[in-house]
Amino acid sequence: MAHDYWRSLEERRGLVTPQLDPELARYIEDELPPATRRSFLKLMGASLGLAGLTSCRWPRELIVPFTKRPEGRTPGVPQQFATLMEHGGAALGLLVTSFDGRPVKVEGNPLHPSSLGGTHVWAQASILELYDPDRSRQLLHRGAVARREELLAFAEPHFAALRARRGAGLAVVAGESSSPTLVALRQRFETELPEAWWVADEPVSWRGQELASAAALGAPARWLLHLDRVRSLVVLDADILYAHPNAVRHVRDFAATRRGGDAQGRLWVAEAALSITGAAADHRLPVRPSRVGLVGLHLAREVAAQGVALPAELAALLAGELPPLEPAAQAFVRAAARDLVAHRGAGLVVAGPGHAAATHAALALNAALGNLGATLTLLPAPAARERSLGDLASALEAGQVETLLVLGANPVHTAPAALRIGERIGRVAASIHLGLRVDETARACTWHVPQAHFLESWGDGRGWDGTYGVQQPLIEPLHGGRSALELLSLLLDAAPASGHDLVRASFVRLHAPKDPETAWRLALRDGLVASSPAAMTPAWRSDPASLAAARERALEAAGDLEVVLVPDSRVWDGRFANNAWLQELPDPLSKLTWDNAVLLAPATAAALGVRHGDVVKLSLAGEVEAPVMVMPGQAPGTAVLPLGGGRTAAGQVGDGVGFNPAALLPAAGPPPLGGLRVSPTGRRHLLACTQDHHAIDRVGFRGRELRTPEIVREQNVGEVHESGHESAHADDAPIFRSPELTGRNQWAMAIDLSACIGCGVCAAACQAENNVAVVGKAQVARSREMAWIRIDRYFMGDEGNPRVSFAPVACQHCEKAPCEQVCPVAATIHNDEGLNQMVYNRCVGTRYCSNNCPFKVRRFNFFNYAKKVSHLRRMAFNPEVTVRSRGVMEKCTYCIQRIERAKIAAHNERRPIADGEIVPACAQACPAGAIVFGDLADPESRVARLHREGRAYVMLPELDIVQRTRYLARLRNPSPDVEEA
Amino acid sequence: MNVGGAGGFQFPRWTNWLRVGLLVALLTGPPYLVLLVWLGGSPLTTDVGYQPEQPVPYSHALHVGQLGVDCRYCHTTVEEAGFAAIPPSATCLNCHQRVRAQSPKLAPVRDAAAGGAAVAWVKVHDLPDYVYFNHSAHVRRGVGCESCHGRIDRQEVVRQVAPLSMGWCLDCHRDPDPHLRPVDAVTVMGWTPAEDRRVLGRRLREAAGIAPSEQCWTCHR
Repeated sequence: MAHDYWRSLEERRGLVTPQLDPELARYIEDELPPATRRSFLKLMGASLGLAGLTSCRWPRELIVPFTKRPEGRTPGVPQQFATLMEHGGAALGLLVTSFDGRPVKVEGNPLHPSSLGGTHVWAQASILELYDPDRSRQLLHRGAVARREELLAFAEPHFAALRARRGAGLAVVAGESSSPTLVALRQRFETELPEAWWVADEPVSWRGQELASAAALGAPARWLLHLDRVRSLVVLDADILYAHPNAVRHVRDFAATRRGGDAQGRLWVAEAALSITGAAADHRLPVRPSRVGLVGLHLAREVAAQGVALPAELAALLAGELPPLEPAAQAFVRAAARDLVAHRGAGLVVAGPGHAAATHAALALNAALGNLGATLTLLPAPAARERSLGDLASALEAGQVETLLVLGANPVHTAPAALRIGERIGRVAASIHLGLRVDETARACTWHVPQAHFLESWGDGRGWDGTYGVQQPLIEPLHGGRSALELLSLLLDAAPASGHDLVRASFVRLHAPKDPETAWRLALRDGLVASSPAAMTPAWRSDPASLAAARERALEAAGDLEVVLVPDSRVWDGRFANNAWLQELPDPLSKLTWDNAVLLAPATAAALGVRHGDVVKLSLAGEVEAPVMVMPGQAPGTAVLPLGGGRTAAGQVGDGVGFNPAALLPAAGPPPLGGLRVSPTGRRHLLACTQDHHAIDRVGFRGRELRTPEIVREQNVGEVHESGHESAHADDAPIFRSPELTGRNQWAMAIDLSACIGCGVCAAACQAENNVAVVGKAQVARSREMAWIRIDRYFMGDEGNPRVSFAPVACQHCEKAPCEQVCPVAATIHNDEGLNQMVYNRCVGTRYCSNNCPFKVRRFNFFNYAKKVSHLRRMAFNPEVTVRSRGVMEKCTYCIQRIERAKIAAHNERRPIADGEIVPACAQACPAGAIVFGDLADPESRVARLHREGRAYVMLPELDIVQRTRYLARLRNPSPDVEEA
Repeated sequence: MNVGGAGGFQFPRWTNWLRVGLLVALLTGPPYLVLLVWLGGSPLTTDVGYQPEQPVPYSHALHVGQLGVDCRYCHTTVEEAGFAAIPPSATCLNCHQRVRAQSPKLAPVRDAAAGGAAVAWVKVHDLPDYVYFNHSAHVRRGVGCESCHGRIDRQEVVRQVAPLSMGWCLDCHRDPDPHLRPVDAVTVMGWTPAEDRRVLGRRLREAAGIAPSEQCWTCHR
C-alpha cells in the first residue's frame, strides 16, 4: 500500500516549521515581559524566602466521623450507584462512583444495552458540570433574588386560572425526553390543559428520521440498528457512530465487525462534513447535503437494476427521470449496490434525519434485501403532536402566549436568530425558566428557577431500544434546584409530589410488580428493568403525497456554498459550553479546541480566496463573523457550521467561545440551505489546534512518509504484515539496559486501531480520573495541553477525500525507557512490574525526559493550574490521585491507583488478580472496547494474546525500547469493485 | 586583569578575598550540613511526640489497657479499607448510654448523636497528601497495630510515637520479619512470641507470600 500520510494541510504543504509562528511569538512576549536582571533576582529572592516560610509546620487536620454511619458505607471506600443520563432524547445507563458521598467519576453501566460499559464524552464530563461554580444558585425574579414563597404566591393563582381556561395562552418549551414519568405528566398536561402548547426544542434530533419513516409506514418509526450483524453498511449522511443517541452501543456493535475474520464488515459512507462515521469508512464519498437524497434514489435504482424487487409502494420513488450523478458518485453507488446485494440479510442502509427521500429509499432497500428484522428493527415512535419553535415565534408575535414555561431548553441561543425568540419572550407577561444556569433564555424570562443536575435528582428514561431505567441521584441538590418533573407536578397538582414519589409511582404503574418495594430496590441496584417494547411489523401504508414531496425536494438543487449544520463534537448545541473539559478536548477530526470555526474544503477555500485562520463574514438570513478552518474531506461547495459557539450567558468558561451559526439561519424552511455568502474581513483569528502538536516525527519532515506507517499501521483484510515488534537493529548491542522485571505481574496494554473510531472518550475519561488540569486556549496554542492521552489523527492521500487513521497515544511504558536515562534526579524510574513510574516529589522540572520521549506523551505543569480551582470544583477531584503542582512533569500511569486498589483487594483475599479485574479509565470508557489492559506474565490473559496477534506492532520498533503498549493494525476492507485512486 | 606578560599568569589581586571566603565556607559548611541532616530527621520535623488535645478526653489507656476493648470494636474498617475509620458517635453510646451516661466529658458525643455537630477529632497520624497508606494491606498481613502506633494501651492521650517518615516505612518494607505476627495477634498490645521474632516472622512471611514493595508507585500516585 502506498502511503502519503499527513496530519494537517499546513504540515503537508510545509507550512509548519520549527520556527515560531508570529502569533505564537507575540503570545510568548506577552507571557515573559522583558525583565531586567535586577528585578529577576529580586523576585527570585522574595519567592525563595516565602517558599521557605510556608513549609515550616504541619497542618492541623480534623477527622469528622459520622454520628451514625449508614449501613454499607466504609469511609474512604468508593461506592458505585446506577443512574441514567439523557442525551438527545434517549437514556444512557451509567454507574457513578461516589467517594465519601460525592460523585467523582462516571462509567457506563455494563447491564444497560445502550452502554454495555461504554460512555460518551458528555457523560464523562458531566461530573464537572455538576460542580460548575457558574451554575445558578438562586431563584430569580426579573434578575433579582427571590424567595420560594414569592414564586409560589405567583404561581398558584396563576396556574389555577390557567387550568380554568383549559390552558389557553400557555406554552411549554422542552427538549426531547424518553422519561416515562415525563410522558405521563405530559399526557395529564394535555388532558387537563388541552388548549396549551407543548413546543419541542431539541436542536440536534433524530426525530426527523422517525417522522420521515411515517410517510412510508403510516406511523413514525424509530430505527434500532444491529450493527454487529451487518457485513455491508451504507450510511447516507448520518453520523451514527458519534452524533446519535445510541452511538455508544453502535460503536460497540460496529467494532465487532472490524476485527477481521468472517465478521468483518464493509462501511460505505456518503456525507457532506467529514464525520467520525465517515472516518471509519472503507469507502467514502463527499457529497453535498442537497445531493444525498439523489444518491439514495440512485442506490435504490442500482439495486433494483440488479434484479431485486423493491416494495411496490416505494417503487414510485424511482419513477421518472433522475438527474445523473457525477462519475465518482456513480461508481460509488454501483459498487455499494453490488455489495448490498451480495450481503442480503446482512446489509443495512441508513440515512440521516434531514434526508426524507434517502430515508424512504433506505427503507425500501432494507425491506427488499431482507435486512428488515435482521439488521434493523423498527420500533413504534410517538406521533408528532408537538409544535415547533417557528409556531411558537408566530404565536408570541401574535400575542397569543401569556405564560411561557421553559424546561431546561435554551431557545434564545439555539433557535434561528430570524425567529427573534429572545426579544419575543421578553414581551410575554409571565415566563418561567428552569435551567442549570442563568443562560440567554433565563435572562429573557421573568422567573428563573435553578434546575437540579441529573446527578442530583430523581428521574427515569428509556434507552434507544426502549429499556426502562431509573435515574437516581448521587447527592442532594447542591444549590437547592428542582427537576423538570417536580416543576411540572407543581403546575399540575394541588399537592406537588417529590421527584422520588413521581418516579416510583410511574415505575409501579409501568411494571405492576408483585412486590413493589423489592422490585424497586432491584431496579435501583441494576439501574434498569430489562424490557423492550415489541417491534413494529412494517406495514406499508405509504402516503404517496409525502413520498412525492420528499422525492421532489431531493431533486432540487441548492445554490453554491451550501450550509451544513452539525452538532459540535464537544459542546453539542452549546449546552456544554461552560464545561472546560469538553472545551479543551480536541475535536476528533479538526483537532480544534476552545473554538468553533466555519469548515471549508481546501478547494472551496481556495476558490473563495480565504485561508485557515482568516476571519470571514458569513451572511445568509443574518450575519455572523467566524474564523475559517480548512478541512480536508469535506464536500466542495459546502460550509460546515458546528453549533454551540457564541454563547453570551454560559459562564466564565463558555462565554465568547466561537460563533453561533443560529445567527445566520432563516426563520423557517428545511435544509438544504444554499447561497451562503462569505466575505473576508482581513482579520486573523488564532485557532488553538492540537493537530500539529507533539509530532512524533518532528525529527525530519522529509522522513514522514517513511516513518508514519511505523507509527500508525494499517493493512487490508487478508494481508499479512511482517511482524513489527523486533528491532531493526537486532544485531547491534542494546543502548539501554533492561530493568529488573521481577514483579509477579507485568502490566501491558493493547490498543486495537481497527476498533478505535477516534471519538476521544478515552481522553475525557482520563481527564476525569486523573485530575488532569485544564490550561485554557492561550496555553493550548503553545502546545501546553495536559491531556495524558491524545488521539493522533492522520490523513492519507487526496486532500479532497482523504483516508483517516487514528491512534490514541499515551505513555507507552517502554521497558528501556529513554526518559529514565536522562532524568538527573531519578524522578522517573522503572518498577518491577514494568511500569514507568513518575515521582512528582522528586521532579525538579528539567524536562529532559520530555525531550527524550520519542512519543511526546509527557506533560509539564508550566503553572500551578490547581491554584485557581474553586472549592466547589475541587469536589470533582479524584482523591486517589495526587493533584500536581507547578514545575513537575506528569504522564499516563496506566491508572496506577486502580492497579493498586485491585492488588490490595486481591492480596488481602490471598488470591491472584483475575484477568480483566484492572481496567484503566480509558479502557473502561471506550465504547469500542479497543483498549485492553492486563498482565503479560499470564500468557493466557487477553492482553498477552493480543500482543501475539499478527496485527500487533509497536510504534518505531527500530528504537528497541520495548514498549508495553502495543497497537493492532487497522484493517481496511476495500471493495474489489472500486478502483483505488 | 593581569594576564600574560613575562611572568605568565598571575592571579589578580581581588582573588585574595577568595581565601577569606573559602575559610568562611569551611567553617560554616559542615555545621550547616549537620544542622540540615539533624533537623531533617529530628522529631521537630517528623512530628514524633505530637499529642494534640482532643475535643473529648477519650483515654485509650482506660478502654484498651484496663477494660481490654479490642481495637476493631471502634476502628471497624481497619481490615477492609485504607482508613482505620474513627468510630461514629453511635459506637460510643453503645456503652455510654448506660455507663456514665451523664458525664459532662461526654457532652460532645451525646450532642452529636442527638443530631448536633459531629465530634471533630484532631488527626494525630497525619501523612502527607501524596502518600496513599492502606491499613488493610498491613493488618491483613500481620503487621501489629503496635508496630506503628506504639503501646496504645498505655497512652492516656494518643501521641505519635513513630517518625512516619519514608525511611522509617522502608526500613520495615526492606526487612519485615521482626515486625510480623500471626494475623490473630495483630491487635494485641505488648505481644511477645515464645520463639525468636525474626525466625517466626520469616516463617510467617514465607507462608503468606509477603513481599513488601519498595516501588514508588506503591505509595505515591
